Amino acid sequence: MDSYKVLVVDDEVEFLETLVKRLSKRDLEVHGLDSGEKALEFLEQDYADVVVLDVKMPGMDGIETLRELKKRHPMIEVIMLTGHANMEVAIQGMELGAFDYLMKPMEIDELLYKIQDAHKKKSIQEAKIQMMEKIIEQEE
Amino acid sequence: MVSISKLFNRFFSGKSRYDLADAEEIRTDFKRRYHHFKLLLNSNNKALEIMTEMEEALKGVLPFGMQFVRSRCTAVSTNVWQIVRHLNELAPGRYKALDDRFKEIQTGINPFIKPKELPRNGPLVMPLLTVDTAHVDQVGSKMANLGELKKQLDVNISDGFVITAGAYHRFMEYNDLQAEIDRRIQATDVEDPNQGISLSGSIQQLIINSTLPEDVVEAIEDQYGDLEGRRGKGITVALRSSALGEDMAGVSFAGQYRSELNVSGENILDAYKWIIASKYSHTAMAYRLSRGIRDEGLAMCVGCTGMVDAVSGGVTYSRNPVDREDTSIVINSVWGLPKSVVDGSVASDIFIIDRTEPMRVIRKEIPFKEQKFMCYAKEGVCRMDMVGDKGGLASLAEEQAVELARLASKAEEYYGMPQDMEWAIDHDGSIIVLQCRPLQRTDLRKTRDSVSLSSRELNAPLCEGGLTASPGVSSGSAYIVQKEMDILQFPEGAVLVTSQALPRWAVLLSKAAGVVTEQGSIAGHLANVAREFGVPAIFGIPDIRNILKDGQQITMDADFLNIYDGQIDSLLKDRPSPRNLMEGSPIFEALKGAASKIVSLNLLDPASPAFRPENCKTLHDITRFCHEKSVEEMFRFGKDHHFPERSSKQLYIHVPMKWWILNLDDGFNEEVHGKHVRLENIASIPMLALWDGISAKPWEGPPPVDGKGFMSVMFRATTNTALVPGVRSKFADRNYFMISKNYCSLSSRLGFHFSIIEALVSERDAENYISFQFKGGAADDKRRYKRVLFIGEILEKYDFIINIREDNLIARIEGRDHQFMKDRLKLLGYLTIHTRQLDMIMANEASVNYYRSKIMNDIHDLIK
Repeated sequence: MDSYKVLVVDDEVEFLETLVKRLSKRDLEVHGLDSGEKALEFLEQDYADVVVLDVKMPGMDGIETLRELKKRHPMIEVIMLTGHANMEVAIQGMELGAFDYLMKPMEIDELLYKIQDAHKKKSIQEAKIQMMEKIIEQEE
Repeated sequence: MVSISKLFNRFFSGKSRYDLADAEEIRTDFKRRYHHFKLLLNSNNKALEIMTEMEEALKGVLPFGMQFVRSRCTAVSTNVWQIVRHLNELAPGRYKALDDRFKEIQTGINPFIKPKELPRNGPLVMPLLTVDTAHVDQVGSKMANLGELKKQLDVNISDGFVITAGAYHRFMEYNDLQAEIDRRIQATDVEDPNQGISLSGSIQQLIINSTLPEDVVEAIEDQYGDLEGRRGKGITVALRSSALGEDMAGVSFAGQYRSELNVSGENILDAYKWIIASKYSHTAMAYRLSRGIRDEGLAMCVGCTGMVDAVSGGVTYSRNPVDREDTSIVINSVWGLPKSVVDGSVASDIFIIDRTEPMRVIRKEIPFKEQKFMCYAKEGVCRMDMVGDKGGLASLAEEQAVELARLASKAEEYYGMPQDMEWAIDHDGSIIVLQCRPLQRTDLRKTRDSVSLSSRELNAPLCEGGLTASPGVSSGSAYIVQKEMDILQFPEGAVLVTSQALPRWAVLLSKAAGVVTEQGSIAGHLANVAREFGVPAIFGIPDIRNILKDGQQITMDADFLNIYDGQIDSLLKDRPSPRNLMEGSPIFEALKGAASKIVSLNLLDPASPAFRPENCKTLHDITRFCHEKSVEEMFRFGKDHHFPERSSKQLYIHVPMKWWILNLDDGFNEEVHGKHVRLENIASIPMLALWDGISAKPWEGPPPVDGKGFMSVMFRATTNTALVPGVRSKFADRNYFMISKNYCSLSSRLGFHFSIIEALVSERDAENYISFQFKGGAADDKRRYKRVLFIGEILEKYDFIINIREDNLIARIEGRDHQFMKDRLKLLGYLTIHTRQLDMIMANEASVNYYRSKIMNDIHDLIK
C-alpha cells in the first residue's frame, strides 16, 4: 500500500514515543503530538490521513478535539484510543464520526490494521468524490 | 454546473448505460460496499469473540475485575455500533429501528457497570464516641461496630476519632486519583503476579506522594488536639483501616489493609496516607480480584485511637471457627500487643471456655512465647525477646479469660451471630476492645470414611499434630516459601509450606492446594482467609520445612491433622468440589447483569416473521440480525445490479457446474464479461481452499438406506413438504459463492440439508475466521440430530468450537494462521459433499462406523 501520514496524539509522552517509533517501523509516516490543541494547529499547516487520538488528555480532551477536527477536516479518519474503558464516551466518540475506538493496551498490529482500514475508507471516499467532480466537469 | 439533485438522479436513476466513467463509478461503489461489508464482518467477529469471553467468565472459574467487565462491555458496544453503521451504509434507511434498539440496550447495560455513586456530604472526621452502626457508610463497619458496642454494652474502647469516607473521597478527588488508578489497572494483566506486584507498588507510591487537601488536614489536626486535651499532651495513637464494604456477607477482608501502631501526633497525616495506599497492596488487590469485589465503593475510613500499651492482648472467637457443633469460646492470647496473634508470627496461648454458666476454662495450652510486641516510648512498636521464664507463663489469668469470654458472648448475643473480637489488657488490668466483627465459620469432618481408614493405602503419616486452621483434605506438591520473591514462582496447586503463618502469604491462597506452617494461630489473618477460600490449613507443626522436601507430593488431612506421603485418592475422593468464589460476588453480578443485555440470542430463525430489528433484545440479536441482512444485501445488490461484470457467474470446469459465483470486489483475477467463470480465474483464497475439499474425493452417492431410514424420510415428507427450512429464500435456491480475494461465503443445499460456510482468510491472522452452519435433512428429528452430532464430533477434533441446538449445528474457528484456515476450509468443503443424506443411516450403528472411519481417513489424507 502506498505510504500515507498518521498523526498520533497522546499526553503520555512515553507511550506516545513508543507508539510513533513502532508505527514508523511499519512503513508509515508518523508524527506524534502531546495535546489536542497542538494536533489542530498541526493540521492547519500540514495534513494527515489518519489521526490516532487519546481520549483523556489535560486541556482539550479527545472528544473535544475529535469534534473540532471533524468540523474542520471531515475527511480525516480518527481512531480513538483510551486507557479508561467508558461505554458512553466510546459511543459518543463513534457518533461524532470516529472510525473506531480501541482500548489500551492494544496489540500494535491491531492498531495498524485499524489505521490501514481507516485509510482505505478514506481513499475510497476520495475516489468517489473525484469521480463526481469528473462527472460535473463532463456535464458542464 | 449541474445541480446536486441532477447529480443525484444520475447516480440513483438505475439507468443502464455503461460508458467507461460509469463502469469505473460502479466498480468504486462495489469497492466501497465491500469495504463496509468487510469492516462489518470484522466487527461481527470481534463482537462474537467478546461475547464468548463474557460467557466464559460467567462460568466463574477465573477471577476478573471491574475493569474487565467495563472494557468488554465497551468493546462489544463499539463493535455492535459499527456493525449497525456499516449495515446502514449497505442499505441506507432500511433498518432504521436498529438505532433505537441499540440505544435502548446500551441504556440497559449502563446501570450494571456505572461506578457507584459515593456519598459526598457528611463530616470529614467523627469522634469515636459519637459513632454507632447508623454511621456505617461514613466510618466503615469496623469502627461503627466498636462505637455501637460502647454505646450499647458499655465495653471499654480506646478514645479517639474516625477519618471518614467523606475525607477519603475528598482526598481522592482533590488529586484526581481514581481515574489514574483505573487507567493503570486497565493497562495491567492483574493475574500475572509480576505485573500485579509492580502495579500495586506504583499505585501505592502515587497515593503516598499525593497531597492531602487543607480541610482534611485541619479536621484531623483539630480532632487530635481535642484528643490531647482529653487524654494528655503528646498521646500516641493507633491508626486502623475500617473500609466500607467489609461487612459484606461471607467476606472477611482479614489482614488486607495496613494498621499503624503507636504513631506520634506529627506523623498521623503520613500514616493516614499509608493506610489509604494499602487499599492497593498486592494482597488486597489479589484478594478483591479473587473474591470479585468492586474497588470503587470501597472507601477507606481510618480509626485513630489512643494507643493502648498492652500487657497482653489477643483475639476471642465466640465459637469454634472450624466446628459448628462446638459451642465453646476460644481465646488466643500473647504477651504484649495482640499483633503477633493476628500476623501469626508467634505461638500463642489457647484458652477454651465452656460457655454454660458459670463459665470456666476447660482446656488451655501454654506454649513458650519467645517474643512479644511492645510500644516504644515515643513512636513505633518493636519485637522484643522475652527475658527470664516469663515467656513460658500464661499471658492471661483464668479469671481474665472468663471475663473475655463473657464479653464475646455478650457481643454475640447483641449482634445475633458469632463474633471475632480483638482486645488488649492495659497496665490497670482493664480489657479494651480494639475490634469486633462477625466470625467466619466452616466445618470439619467428624469421622473418617471407614473404608479409607482400613485401606492399605494409608501408611503411617509423615507427621501428625498441629492445629486445624482451616478444615479439609487436599493433595499437591510441597512448595517451601521463605521470602517474598517465592510468591512469583509459586506453582498452581502446590501446598504452601512455610515457617510463620504471615498475612502476606494470603496472596497465594487462590493458587494453593493447602497450607502447612510451623507457627501461627488459628485466629490469625492467614487462617481466616484460608477458611474463606476453602483451602485446608494446618498450623503449628514444628520443623515441617525439614520433614517435607520441596516438590514432594503430599496429602494433607487438616481435620485429623495428618500429612501423608504421595497422593492418597481414598482420602481425597469425598472432598467437596472447590468453592466458586466469583459466583454471586458484586463483580460477577455486574457482569451477569450486563451480559443479560448482551450475550443471549433470541433471534434464531431468519425465515421467521419475528426476525426484525424491533425484536432485537440484546446486542447479540443485533449482531445476528445485521450479519444476516448484510450478507443478504451484498447478495441482492450483486444479483440485481444490471452490471454484467458483477452479475453472478456460473462456475465452468470442463462443463458448466451447478455452482454460481458472485464477485464482491477482487475475487477474480480479471474481470469476467460472459456468463461463465473458470476456476483458474478465481482469486479468492478461501473459495479455492473450499473447492479443494469439495473436489478432493468423488462422492460415493447416497448411502444405502435400510427400510427404517427410508420410512423416516417418507414420514417427514408427509409432515413437511418443504423439507428445507426457507433460510435466505432466494439465496438458498442455488449453491452460491460470494467472494473477494480474502472472503468467501458459500450457501448450499445439497441433498436435503442447508449449510452456510463463511470465511475470512488474509495475512491478518487475528481477523481470520470460519463459521459453519448446518441445518436440516430429510430424515426424522432423531436421525438429523444424530447427524449434526456426528459432524460436530469431527469438527471438534479439528479445533472448531461447536454449538448444537436441535438439528442446527454452528461451528466457529478464529484467529489462526493462513495455512491452518485453508486446511479447515478444505475439510468443510469435503464434509459438505460427503455428509449428504447421511442422516438416513444414523440409526444404524454399523453404517455410522463405516462412514466415520472413511471420513476420518479421507480428512487425514486431505490435510495431513
